[in-house]
Amino acid sequence: MRLTEILRLVRLNLSQNKSKVILTSTGILVGAATIMLVIAIGTGGKEEVAEQFQNLNAGAIDISYEYEGDSGFGRGRMGDFGGGMPSGGGMPSGGGSMPSEGGFPGGMMGGFPGMEGFGSQQNTEQIILSTDEVGELETGIEGLAAATISYTSRADAQGGDLEEAASYTVAGVKENYAEISNLSMEIGEFITEENDTYKERTCVLGYDVAREMFGSALEAYDESVYIDNRPYVVNGVLDQMGTVASGISPDEAIFIPYETGIKYITGKNVSPTITLVAENVDGVESVMEQAEEILAQIWPNAAFTLSDAGSKMEAASASNETLTLLLAAMAAIVFVVGGIGIMNVLFVSVRERTNEIGILKAIGCSKKDILLEFLLEAACISFIGSVLGVLLALGITPVIEQLSVRVELSVWGGILSLLFGCLTGTVFGFYPAWKASRLIPVVALNHE
Amino acid sequence: MESRIIEMEGINKGYRLGEETVPVLRNIRFSVEKGEFVAILGPSGSGKTTLMNIIGCMDVADSGNYYLNGEAIHEMPQDRLNEIRNREIGFIFQNYQLIPTYNILQNIIMPLVVRGMTSREAEKECMPIIELLGISHRLAHRPNELSGGQKQRVSIARALAGQPAILLADEPTGALDSSSGKDVLKLFEELHGLGNTIVMITHDLNVAQHAQRIVHIIDGQLSET
Repeated sequence: MRLTEILRLVRLNLSQNKSKVILTSTGILVGAATIMLVIAIGTGGKEEVAEQFQNLNAGAIDISYEYEGDSGFGRGRMGDFGGGMPSGGGMPSGGGSMPSEGGFPGGMMGGFPGMEGFGSQQNTEQIILSTDEVGELETGIEGLAAATISYTSRADAQGGDLEEAASYTVAGVKENYAEISNLSMEIGEFITEENDTYKERTCVLGYDVAREMFGSALEAYDESVYIDNRPYVVNGVLDQMGTVASGISPDEAIFIPYETGIKYITGKNVSPTITLVAENVDGVESVMEQAEEILAQIWPNAAFTLSDAGSKMEAASASNETLTLLLAAMAAIVFVVGGIGIMNVLFVSVRERTNEIGILKAIGCSKKDILLEFLLEAACISFIGSVLGVLLALGITPVIEQLSVRVELSVWGGILSLLFGCLTGTVFGFYPAWKASRLIPVVALNHE
Repeated sequence: MESRIIEMEGINKGYRLGEETVPVLRNIRFSVEKGEFVAILGPSGSGKTTLMNIIGCMDVADSGNYYLNGEAIHEMPQDRLNEIRNREIGFIFQNYQLIPTYNILQNIIMPLVVRGMTSREAEKECMPIIELLGISHRLAHRPNELSGGQKQRVSIARALAGQPAILLADEPTGALDSSSGKDVLKLFEELHGLGNTIVMITHDLNVAQHAQRIVHIIDGQLSET
């Protein structure tokens, strides 16, 4: 029989059983919708992690000290990483406590491994990490590529087109900060050693800050920005870096020389973060151990918080992967259930149509043609289900986005769910179709 | 031999019943010439249905030779029998055996579609037969919208559609009232007049008498009158 004629018969049969087709395809419908959303949510999660960590140096380790003697300040342990970004949490600055910025949308990530706090000890001593410790660590640790120290604060800044001063994140950094944090320049140059040594009032603006104040990076360059009413020369503007995991997005920060900030903005009351970069990712653990030893020698009674970026990234990806896996398992179950539904209906259908199969065989229909007809019916039912499923997934995507889960729909996700849907139906439809094709004509003809 | 459509010799067929084999057909020798109208007459349980299944290539004999239109059916692998059925046999059943979900036209053209024609080609091919049987006004209907006599006409049209070597009718009037039954038998005579070879199986002597030649089957054995 011609394939087109078999398809014609399939259409004829399906069009006479519309409600049966719809009900049968429901299982596949749900399965296809699930798989499409699994892919979309998985991709969304992956992209989210990737974006959050894009500026992250995998070999970076942040060391901070949390003063617990006085419970007055917020303990923003979370969210103090991202490309060795200075901590935005628990920062005693002139203005008061700084809540940590960022935080994870979707709350997907809980506590992180790789964050080693020796929390049992009370950090009652007031320690301010400084360049002295950086020097000690630099000379004492083997396998260290770079070390820097930085801090953040918030200060009022004004410049360019801004009508009045607004609160901005101000980061005090050393000259090697840009390299360690993978920051690149749109225009001009980053903070230099000289800027820092001479406590010059220069600054580098984040991309968004430059746009807000001056309209563009080019217009911002070489202008002046007023921070706490003191003028700073804009020496450069960063490229747009995108959002980071937490801490402060470089796009929205103003970078100033480390010493300048201490002199004019924060005073001595600052709690900086030291960022170490291991020569390679495998060396991170050893660098962390060495750093702990050295710090313990200097401050025997203090507990420092060491967190390495790599394991945070891993944890974030792992939790995302776990979620995806869970959803994928769900999709698989739905498919199996849907497939069995199709098989069930087709078995009933083969029984109901035994006589028809007998007639077809009597007039010379081959096994292959009958197998093909039933198989194509199963495939069509599941194709219809898959298409409806994809549409359903598209329909409920906005609802899921409302729940602040990131969903990245993709064409290949749609194609894959169509493929999976059709495949399931066809695979489960095979056995009943095969049964139908094996019926003995005389027996089938006389079946009532 | 040239004009012989059916040539059977030494056909045996039995069914297994537990350990034993019950013989149904015994040493059947039967032949039909081209253009003949033969009735096989026998009571129920005589083996006539089994014989019909073997003639119609729906079943195979345990032993013996069967030539249909020159082809040695007894040597043919089972897989090829569907081809033979499609080309050489036009079945007419007691209970019509029309496919309920197809309309009349689709039912009639099926043998040609199965053979590999498009439905358009098959429709064109079947039109003269449809005209001949006077069912052209019923083509879009479904079988359950037709009377018994009309259904049997449709099934006869389907049997003729493939221009087979023989028409094989199994109790064609069995489910019909006497007047529709007479119509069908008259139609058979007409078709015979047009040169068709017809083998009809029945238990009813009155029906069998419409045929040119009657063969009796009793206890699995044939005898001519």
